[in-house]
Amino acid sequence: MSKKKYWQSFGELNNTQQFQDNSANEFKEELPFEFGDSSSKTPRRDFLKYLGFSTAAATLAASCEMPVKKSIPFLNKPADIVPGVANYYATSFVLDGDVVPVLAKVRDGRPIKIEGNELGFTKGGTSQRVQASVLSLYDTARLRFPMEKVGGSFKEAPTYEALDNKIKAALKDLGSKKIAILTSTLNSPSVAAVVDQFKAKYSFAQHVNYDAVSYSGLIQANDASYAIKGIPSYHFDNANVIVSFGADFLGSWLSPVEFAKQYASKRKVTSTNTVMSRHFQFESMYSMTGASADERFTHRPSELGVVLLNLYARLGGTVSAPAISDARLKSGIDAAATELKNAGGNALVVCGSNDVNIQILVNAINTIIGANGKTINYGTLVNYRKGIDAEFEQLLADMSAGNVGAVLVYGANPFYTYADTKKLSEAWKKVTVSVSFNDAEDETAEQCQYLLPAPHFLEIWGDAEPKTGYTTFIQPTIHPLFKTRAFGTSLLKWSDSSDADYETYYKSYWTNKLGGQTAFDQALRDGVINPPAPAVAGATFNSAALSTAVAGIKAPGNSAYELVVYQKVSIGDGKMANNPWLQEMPDPITRASWDNYAVISTAAAKEFFPDLNMDQYEVEPPKPVIKLKVGNKEVELPVLIIPGTQKNTIAVAVGYGRSEKVGLAAKGAGKNVYHLVANNGRNYDYNGIAVSVEKTANQYPIAQMQTHASYGDRHEVVKETSLPIFKKDPKVIINERLAELKDYGGLENFEAEGTIYPVFDKPGIKWGMNIDLNTCNGCGACVVACSAENNVSVVGKNQVGKYHDMHWLRIDRYFSGDPENPDVVFQPMLCQHCDNAPCENVCPVAATNHSSEGLNQMTYNRCIGTRYCANNCPYKVRRFNWHDWNGADSFKDNQKAIVESGRLNEVTVQMNDELTRMVLNPDVTVRSRGVIEKCSFCVQRLQEGKLNAKKDSRPLIDSDVKTACQQACPTNAIVFGNVNDKESVIRKVRTKEEEGSQRTFYVLEQIHVLPNVSYMAKVRNTERTVGNHEEAHEEAHTEKEKAGHH
Amino acid sequence: MALLKYESQVREPLVNGDKTYQQVTEDICRPVEAAPSRLWWIGFIISVALLIFGAVSLYVEVVYGTGMWNLNKTIGWGWDITNFVWWVGIGHAGTLISAILLLFRQGWRTGVNRAAEAMTIFAVMCAGQFPVWHMGRVWMAFFVLPYPNSRGPLWVNFNSPLLWDVFAISTYFTVSLLFWYSGLIPDLATLRDRAKKKWAKKFYGVSAFGWTGSTKHWQRHESLSLVLAGLSTPLVLSVHTIVSFDFATSVIPGWHTTIFPPYFVAGAIFSGFAMVQTLMLVLRKVYALEDYITVSHIENMNKVIVLTGSIVGCAYLTELFMAWYGASKYEYDVFFKYRIAGPYGWSYWLMMTCNVITPQLFWSKKLRRNIAFTFLMSIVVNVGMWFERFVIIVSSLYRDYLPSSWSVYYRPTIWEVGFYLGSFGLFFTCFFLFSKYFPVIAIAEIKHVLKRSGESYKDKMDSIEKQTVDEFAHDAHH
Repeated sequence: MSKKKYWQSFGELNNTQQFQDNSANEFKEELPFEFGDSSSKTPRRDFLKYLGFSTAAATLAASCEMPVKKSIPFLNKPADIVPGVANYYATSFVLDGDVVPVLAKVRDGRPIKIEGNELGFTKGGTSQRVQASVLSLYDTARLRFPMEKVGGSFKEAPTYEALDNKIKAALKDLGSKKIAILTSTLNSPSVAAVVDQFKAKYSFAQHVNYDAVSYSGLIQANDASYAIKGIPSYHFDNANVIVSFGADFLGSWLSPVEFAKQYASKRKVTSTNTVMSRHFQFESMYSMTGASADERFTHRPSELGVVLLNLYARLGGTVSAPAISDARLKSGIDAAATELKNAGGNALVVCGSNDVNIQILVNAINTIIGANGKTINYGTLVNYRKGIDAEFEQLLADMSAGNVGAVLVYGANPFYTYADTKKLSEAWKKVTVSVSFNDAEDETAEQCQYLLPAPHFLEIWGDAEPKTGYTTFIQPTIHPLFKTRAFGTSLLKWSDSSDADYETYYKSYWTNKLGGQTAFDQALRDGVINPPAPAVAGATFNSAALSTAVAGIKAPGNSAYELVVYQKVSIGDGKMANNPWLQEMPDPITRASWDNYAVISTAAAKEFFPDLNMDQYEVEPPKPVIKLKVGNKEVELPVLIIPGTQKNTIAVAVGYGRSEKVGLAAKGAGKNVYHLVANNGRNYDYNGIAVSVEKTANQYPIAQMQTHASYGDRHEVVKETSLPIFKKDPKVIINERLAELKDYGGLENFEAEGTIYPVFDKPGIKWGMNIDLNTCNGCGACVVACSAENNVSVVGKNQVGKYHDMHWLRIDRYFSGDPENPDVVFQPMLCQHCDNAPCENVCPVAATNHSSEGLNQMTYNRCIGTRYCANNCPYKVRRFNWHDWNGADSFKDNQKAIVESGRLNEVTVQMNDELTRMVLNPDVTVRSRGVIEKCSFCVQRLQEGKLNAKKDSRPLIDSDVKTACQQACPTNAIVFGNVNDKESVIRKVRTKEEEGSQRTFYVLEQIHVLPNVSYMAKVRNTERTVGNHEEAHEEAHTEKEKAGHH
Repeated sequence: MALLKYESQVREPLVNGDKTYQQVTEDICRPVEAAPSRLWWIGFIISVALLIFGAVSLYVEVVYGTGMWNLNKTIGWGWDITNFVWWVGIGHAGTLISAILLLFRQGWRTGVNRAAEAMTIFAVMCAGQFPVWHMGRVWMAFFVLPYPNSRGPLWVNFNSPLLWDVFAISTYFTVSLLFWYSGLIPDLATLRDRAKKKWAKKFYGVSAFGWTGSTKHWQRHESLSLVLAGLSTPLVLSVHTIVSFDFATSVIPGWHTTIFPPYFVAGAIFSGFAMVQTLMLVLRKVYALEDYITVSHIENMNKVIVLTGSIVGCAYLTELFMAWYGASKYEYDVFFKYRIAGPYGWSYWLMMTCNVITPQLFWSKKLRRNIAFTFLMSIVVNVGMWFERFVIIVSSLYRDYLPSSWSVYYRPTIWEVGFYLGSFGLFFTCFFLFSKYFPVIAIAEIKHVLKRSGESYKDKMDSIEKQTVDEFAHDAHH
């Protein structure tokens, strides 16, 4: 290495003292400030650093509140759990006797969504209650620990063991007094075995099934007619003619999910397959099933027997039938009789009555038309409902007589559902030990001594046998949230069983039964075990039963008004009344949520309120209140005027007016009307109860999501036609569209010629949806599924009343035709994802825009909330966050004041409880106050589907993506997919005649917004005028018919 | 033998009372220099109270959400945008008076232009509140401003009429403010020169921008006025045209119509003049300015009102005709089933009565010159014009395409009404302060039309006029 030195000056070269001093002191002159003063803690040169740091620190400290997030990673990650990836477990929705095999979607240990299990007898269908059940898991009103009543109020019991000992001792002391196990219909084979074990231990134990809404009449009638004490399987898919007498079989009767699927299979009409079932509905109120009917006739509720007698007589039955004065009804009976006769056994008559005599008559009709063994299968009985009214009455009598020492209540809630509460509480007082296994402190639990809450079905093991031979399994999807214990465990403990708990018992029960662990594992994986397709078997009718039944049929009542007590499609018997999603879901016909009310006809409305201005009545939520009196019982309810209600009929729904302790959602919602149910000495009677009506001066607001009834002449909104017309001219719908578009390029060139703007190519994926109005029955499973999937806020009654509901998907209901006997069309309405979307160009900040895949997307954090897009949406599907629904606002704690002022219901706050929030879908943003939201076509599912296809290196196929509504639909009315994919179903339904393309139309097509949701026109199997098909046949539209072009 | 007559007697004088220049200055400066009257205090306190109520109403709305108003999923705009359009419309009269009438050399404008311009500015300020505070997330309102930002390639949507509004209203406000203020400068200098109190000297001194009254100053002032008038003139037409685009470019039946721009502009001038009348009639009385704002001013403005009212009436009838004649049955339904009838029918007929029928009474000269009647009519017209916007917005939205979405009855909550009252509070608070601290009539400009030198000359000539030609010739000869 060179030692050569480079120097800049002589000073440096020589390294003089002066040079050294100079270089140490860079500045020759005295600087005017302290330099390098070590005493200063903050040197000058660090000033900016300190300034920057302190400003940043102050900014951070002042503006960013850092929430403490307690997230703990897995120490040992379970092999089958990947954070952020959902697992699906096969289990079963079981509510009282209702069973639907389902898949529970579990994200990071939390069940958040329920889907149908396609292997099950419901073939993947779900109902609104199935969809909503996941929210009930996180119900804040659930009991969290065992309790014991001490001095009139419930105290937490330290352990289950402590209670076990007490109860066991108490049961032993009862001596020969009965122990009543009072349950709602129990169809679990393993629990039934446990009950048997308990009965073996306690010989005086007795099991009574008690259903909130009884089907006892049907069971007893079958017993009398066929000596089969049970309910047969029905096969609506085998029936070409269906006649229903007040049976809401698509909405609330027995097993609607199963029936809806069967029924829909005969309603998918295409131009190449015009076979369609013909459905007659005879009823007094407008049911959801009645809306799907081809022909609907109304009668007085108490006239049902006479109507059936007439039908039977017309079918050749040897009975004398009293004459029917109503010509329309009479012609309906004649038509139904003719069709039934000609159907050659492929026909089915069902009846929703709980009157034994009437059901025997129905059995006689089904026998005479040869339905037994074709559409009715007595070889496979169903176990949805088992309660016999007389058995419960007997139990009450025993209790009153002091013969019952203990009542163990599981699932049943007689203090809410039994008509004569006074009689029940008198009897109850004589019972020494009362235990409730119900999951909340409901009306009956309140009267019990011990509360041993049972877990939610998503937390436990279990099974159900909905039909003979069909088994569905329940497996836990989450560790029990609370200190709950299975009903079976308690019984096993109390009967000193060798099995420690129900879980052990259950596992050994099924491994033994199925012959090993492998088979059991497989069964759990599938969730169901189905028998090999059972033969449809009939039964021999005992005609002797008929004559007694005919003699027992009463003449129609003559009171001015008669009551029909019905179950709403959403709330049902009221068991799930504390489910905010179900409460918020509007009734398909009345479109009202959060309440029950008296449904009256337009004729009755004219009588009660002669001065009622219908225009004003429609737009004002407060409705007049009437007082209904049945004997000495009375209830005041607001009225809703529903066309198509029989004029002497007043219909009220059960399931409302629950006790406050059931929870905030149920609190204050409607009134209990179970006490109006009649007891005819043999059965509880829900139809034709004579009622007197008094007007009151009161008004009561009803929260409706739709106020206007009909679609008038707007055939661009709803297209419907009748089967004969469609058969004759399969192009009837297409021609109607052509007439609307003829000046704008017709069907072919409408996209390009309907606008002055350029048309863009749409390569790649283009999402599209098709909804078949013929198979949509309005049940609303999709509505709840959408709320669950997309974290759609619950706004509560007061806000729904203000028209502030948030539903992304709604089912519009339109009346059409004769105002006295109108048809009803349901039209699911969601964001149409228009390719020429009016919402997109009006947003000043471009918060809503179009994706290259045809999605109309919302950017929530860009939205400033001008609501211009919502105004400009012709479909009115955009929803604005009027308040802080989710407790996630920039303004802290701003919910309390609006709740206290009564604008917001407490239930909204309940939805924000830490527990309830566990139901939120982590894949979907929770929207804040002040922004618009709307259907996204479940974009999170689309992304997931695309990623899955990408991971597998293959093009996307239909099965990769399913929107929540599509998946929930029990009738497969919704088809979704990539329109650009030639193999996709959506492409086929729009282009192939055999898939129904001839029925396709777009809502408001003529305004050229180019929606991506198509609909298939409703076709009714009738000779009547439906829609504007007559006009469509005319050569040219007259002057008065305005095509509606812009 | 005819007298030597050289003066036309047809025109009424623009200023009554044979004022000298000194008197004009005294008359107009008096309210500014004197202590405010009791009446002023009462009015001012009421205005501030309303303003505070408006602030509270807004606080409630911002903190608890737009749900505190009764708008809903079908009716996304109600009182808020109605008030916005109404206030913007009111502003238009001021601009028309100051700009278009200046270009057309209408001398009578000088009596009312100052106050009318102030009204414009305050009305636009009020109008601007509504589209801002009606936002769901008002704290993000700055998103509507197009500026380079750190939010990625995010930009505003130039397709949106709401964005056009942002530009239209802000331009309008800026130009109106400049116009008003530049006109004020000579008068501020007058006040400065007359000021005796220290703060007043300082305040007016600073505000007068060093005006000396030199010829150069006057020349520049005149040029600036002309330029600003030129800029403002298209704004009179464009601002309300753009506001009307909010509706006209949409797909909603009842909104989607090409007639809106002219119809809105006419309506704006109509309501603006009515508001000018309301204000002037009070002002001239309270400040004793009857000589400057004369009955002939009032009559002129009433003529504009009857003209624009009739144009608006034609527009209403055209709309109805097109709804009947056109091919859109949705539009037909909106007009014939749900506007002139239906739950909101009353508001349509109220609008028709106030805007079309009653202004026709102004064809009578007697009524045009009747001050009490004019005052009443000015209120009636503004009520009518408010309902016009309400009818357009609400009765189109509440029953649009899908009958399933037809709304429940919309009526405002106390907070919606409070916001509206608050805008009155803002308007009148500003107006009271303006009338106290600034000359409400343009002193300099009114002197232009005073014809003082002509009048003195005429006085001198009066004796000569009385002479016969012969006498005159005789006198002149000697």
